[in-house]
Amino acid sequence: MGLIENGPIPRVKPVKFLLNWGRRYSLWVMNFGLACCAIELIATSTSKHDFIRLGAIPVAHGPRQADLLLVAGTLTDKMAPALKRVYDQMPEPKYVISFGSCSNCGGPYWDSYSVTKGVDQILPVDVYVPGCPPRPEALLHGIIKLQEKIKGEDISEKWSGKLTAPPAAS
Amino acid sequence: MASSLPPLQPAEVEARLRARFGDDILEVQDQFGHPAVSVAPSRYRELALFVRDEPDFAMDYYDFGAGVDFGDDGLEMVTHLYSTKHNHHVRLKVRCGVVDPTCPTLSDIYAGANWHEREAGEMFGLTFEGHPQPVKLLLAEEFEGHPLRKDFPLMSREAKPWPGAPEGEDDEE
Repeated sequence: MGLIENGPIPRVKPVKFLLNWGRRYSLWVMNFGLACCAIELIATSTSKHDFIRLGAIPVAHGPRQADLLLVAGTLTDKMAPALKRVYDQMPEPKYVISFGSCSNCGGPYWDSYSVTKGVDQILPVDVYVPGCPPRPEALLHGIIKLQEKIKGEDISEKWSGKLTAPPAAS
Repeated sequence: MASSLPPLQPAEVEARLRARFGDDILEVQDQFGHPAVSVAPSRYRELALFVRDEPDFAMDYYDFGAGVDFGDDGLEMVTHLYSTKHNHHVRLKVRCGVVDPTCPTLSDIYAGANWHEREAGEMFGLTFEGHPQPVKLLLAEEFEGHPLRKDFPLMSREAKPWPGAPEGEDDEE
């Protein structure tokens, strides 16, 4: 960790390229399907759309093995602490894709008494995929956008955790 | 499946219940072929027990229960019972009052009533007397208020009115 955080090695261009290349094509996905969007997410992972060909690997064994948190569906205030807990358990570097209108901003439940108006209220989101629900192609595009983001990333900055929301106090 | 008796019609239900409960049956309506029985709160549990155990009724399935907010006229608890034996339905309605509305629980008569009453309790602020676990079911623990009551404000709509009304219907409220 010390080398990655502080050392000069990741700033050497070929090393940086190689590390980011490896990271962006092996994204273990923590599937956080909450509503109908989860069906589109599952469809994206199966043979017709097959996001594994982009290097996104569905169904990480747990949050501690995952790189990418995919929030698909309607987050309620009652569920929000569980989502935050899953996010806090994921090791750096970690990414979040918010999939669908509900998790982006509350969507059709914008005036609801129980729905969280966007997961970005509790954790930092890297890519928003709009739609209600979005088609699987939209998620593929979102994953490609995330990979473009990882490609240009400064690893020491990402690994430092400065880009990440602090863990919940409780 | 062969049933021993044909389904009871709403008029028959009314006759049998009035014969037993008299004036405590406040009203019986025929709603889409289902009898909707308004009953005095004092005999609500007795009525539920009666229709469960009486062989002609045999209401063995608690279909659903929910609150209804009538504003100044108070809250109502609506219980929908079904008989898998006779294939007929009965709705029970009981008025619970305006201030501090309470209603007897049915959860010891029908196990299925437990969660429905917890939901009606948190959504409408009904208190179910004798309920074994009177805590919130769906809402977050720290939630304050009863969101399905008519006077519950939706804070998002305070900031921005609902944009979905068709043209010319904005003045309705």
